[in-house]
Order: sequence, then structure tokens, then C-alpha cells
Amino acid sequence: GRGWRGRGLREGHAGGGVARGPSPGSQGQPPPPVQPHYPPAPAGPSWVCRAVLGEGHQRTVRKVAWSPCGTYLASASFDATTCIWKKQPDGFECVTTLEGHENEVKSVAWAPSGNLLATCSRDKSVWVWEVDEEEEYECVSVLNSHTQDVKHVVWHPNQELLASASYDDTVKLYHEEEDDWVCCATLEGHESTVWSVAFDGSGERLASCSDDKTVRIWRRYKPGNEEGVACSGTDPTWKCVCNLSGFHTRTIYDVAWCHLTGALATACGDDAIRVFEESSPAAPQQPTFSLAAHVARAHSQDVNCVAWNPKEPGLLASCSDDGEIAFWKYQRPEVC
Amino acid sequence: MLSGGGTHPARSRGLGFRGAMAAAASSADMFDDIVMAEERFHGEGYQEGYAEGSHIGVVEGRRYGSLHGAKIGSEVGCYLGFALTWQCLLHKCTDEKNSKKTKVLDSLIGMIRKFPYEDPTYDKLQEDLEKIRGKFKQLHMAMDSVV
Repeated sequence: GRGWRGRGLREGHAGGGVARGPSPGSQGQPPPPVQPHYPPAPAGPSWVCRAVLGEGHQRTVRKVAWSPCGTYLASASFDATTCIWKKQPDGFECVTTLEGHENEVKSVAWAPSGNLLATCSRDKSVWVWEVDEEEEYECVSVLNSHTQDVKHVVWHPNQELLASASYDDTVKLYHEEEDDWVCCATLEGHESTVWSVAFDGSGERLASCSDDKTVRIWRRYKPGNEEGVACSGTDPTWKCVCNLSGFHTRTIYDVAWCHLTGALATACGDDAIRVFEESSPAAPQQPTFSLAAHVARAHSQDVNCVAWNPKEPGLLASCSDDGEIAFWKYQRPEVC
Repeated sequence: MLSGGGTHPARSRGLGFRGAMAAAASSADMFDDIVMAEERFHGEGYQEGYAEGSHIGVVEGRRYGSLHGAKIGSEVGCYLGFALTWQCLLHKCTDEKNSKKTKVLDSLIGMIRKFPYEDPTYDKLQEDLEKIRGKFKQLHMAMDSVV
């Protein structure tokens, strides 16, 4: 389709490469030293599996998240735990297992500072964890604001503000107030489960996607704003400024907002990936987004996640129930 | 609910057709009790049933309310028990790490003591209860490493 160019496909989970430790030496000789697998693979269409972390979880691993420094990987699992893996020269080592949730952990996310981690679960709660210099994790808050299964958590790009999406049809925002984490806003409007949330590069806007087949864009209005939007006390108000409906034919499982280009990508249950671009000149109170690209059969089953590469504009990764991970090169079309 | 009898203004006017209808109506009154019996009993039965149902409902509601209220009281009481015990244990430890725990502990005890046990109509009841549960869970995990 227009705007798309080529496709690099790699089967990562059906059994690609496995990182192997040193092979046993013969005749009692010490094994040869392991050659490091770094520096990274050269740029190109092929992706190689570097490691398989198989000893951490007993059930489905639902979400993984890299720490901002790139040294740690957090994995959220249906076995009710979250593992923290540390990158070592010869692979990854599980340094901590965070326990506490009563059942399936659905999502995990690192704050931009790298000191905070958030997890959410089917037990309806959102937990905030703090990590210190000695790699010790401590739960600093258990937030029971949602009334149903919490599907996704994501941090603001530059503030300690947390957003969560839930089966209760709402998005909630949390921040620290006098040493205590509190829910400071509830975004209502979706008519069904909200599956994912994404902040734009500035953090002034939020995109949410739902089982109701719409993507909604929300904008933050600070107290004393010139548009005259009412705020309670010192907390900003979030208002829905755009509703993208009629584009998706099934549940939208994920939304990703590129911080480099502003493009909005969606992962849908109809096996398609769509990219939306904001029409300029931008009218902040009533932004309009138009469908810039649509790959109808991006995968052969539900697309579960999409993610923009944080350094390379236009590079998008997606994964699906069909067991494949796909990489896409997107270019904004001329007429948009 | 129909009752026999009523006014027949047509009769007093003496109009022909209406007069005949009025005459027919007055003789029909006689059979009203029999003809309307089913409907009347149905109506009376409904009123009795409604009254009885309301009464039983109030009794059941009170029983449910006291059971549910007791459950909440028991749950929060349990948290307070743990909290006070932890407070005694932490009393001896005054290092930095434990001062954080003491702060959270004081916050939990404060929330429990502030909770309006006398007012079931308190609009933030569920919200405050969830905050207490969350704080207890957080503390429970932290105390695991101390106790």
C-alpha cells in the first residue's frame, strides 16, 4: 500500500537462535571463554535471536519493558510475578522477582527517571515500585482505583505521572502527592475495555484505544488555562479532543505514538496495522487525524502490539497471535 | 379497583337515551360485586402481598446490612491489629530504612482511626476502604522482610 516499503520478517518465538553458554570442556579442561555477542548485529533486514530467558516464569509472559538505561528488562507474567533481568556480558540474569499481585500481571513500565516501575494486574490494582542504587526494589504504593482488570500502564515521557487502562472502560492517571501516590484523574468516554494508552512526545496529549473500536485523543488543560476549561484545585483536567471512529472493524489492542514524527500506529483484532497522521496546521482544541496508511493483512491473526523505534523514524515493530514479529518501514505520504 | 355504585347525573337530567343507559347501569350495579369479584380479590391480594413483601424486605435488608457491616469492621479491625503490633516491633528500630516504614504505618493507623464507622451513607466509603486495603498490602510486603 502507499507509504509502505518492504517488510522484514523474523520468526522469533517459534524457535530461532538460542544463546548458549560455554560447552563442557573435554578431559577436565576449563571450557574456552565465551565470546561476547555484542556489539549489536549490523543494520539490515535480518534480525537474530540473542537470548531466550526461559527460567523465570511459570506461565504466559504478557509484557516486557526495557529500563531507560537499557541495562534491565522487566517481564510481566500471568504467574503473578514480575522478573527483573540484568544484561550481562554472556546473557541475562534474573536479579529480582517482584511478588505481591494476587493474579495475572498484565503490564509493566519503567518511569523515565529509571527509579520507578509500575505494574498492573487482573486483581484491579496498579503497583508502583521504587528501586535504589543497590538494586533493591520496594513497593511504594498499591493503588486500588480501578473497578476491573487493569490492562496496561505507561509513564509520562518526562514527568512522574502514570496512566493505566482498564476493563472498567476508563483511563486513570496517578501522581505523587505528599509522599503518597493518588489517582488524580479519571478519563471516561470509551464504551468498552480500554486496552492501551500512549502519551505523545510532549506529554500534553494522550491516545487511548479500546474494544469499542475507537481511538480517543485526550488533551491536558492546566489550571488557569486560556481556553477556559475548568479544573479542580491544582490538578489539570484531561478532555477528549478527538475520537477516531469508523476506521477499525475489531477491538484495537495497542496504540503507539511516535515521539519523533507524531505518527500514531494501531494494532487491531482485524489483523491490520493502521497509521494516522495529524493534519496541519494543528488546531489544538480540535485536532484532526487522517488515516495515512493501512496494511489490511499485516498478520494472519490479531495484531497485539505495535512499537515505534525510539531512534529511527518510520521503523515500526508489530507482533501477533500468529506467532510472528514483523518490522515495517513507514513513510508519511505526500498528501496528508 | 371498582366499587359498586356511583353518580348517575344522566338520570337527573331525564334525557331519553342516557336515561335508559342509566337505568341499565343501576341494575348492573347489583351484579357488580359478583362480576368484579375476581378483579377485586386480585387487587386486595396484591396490596396484602406488597405490604408483606416490604416488611420481609426490611428485615432481610437489616440482616444483610449488619452482616456486611460486620465483615468490613472485622477486616479493618484485623488491619489495625497488625498495624499496632508492627508499631510495637518497629519502636525498637530507629534506622533510616525503618523510619520510612514507620511513616507508612502511621498513615495506615491514621486512615483506620479516621474511618467513619457510624455512617453507612458516607459517600467515600468504598474509596477510603480501598485506600486502607492498598496501604495494608504495601506495608505487609515491607514488614515481611523485618519480621
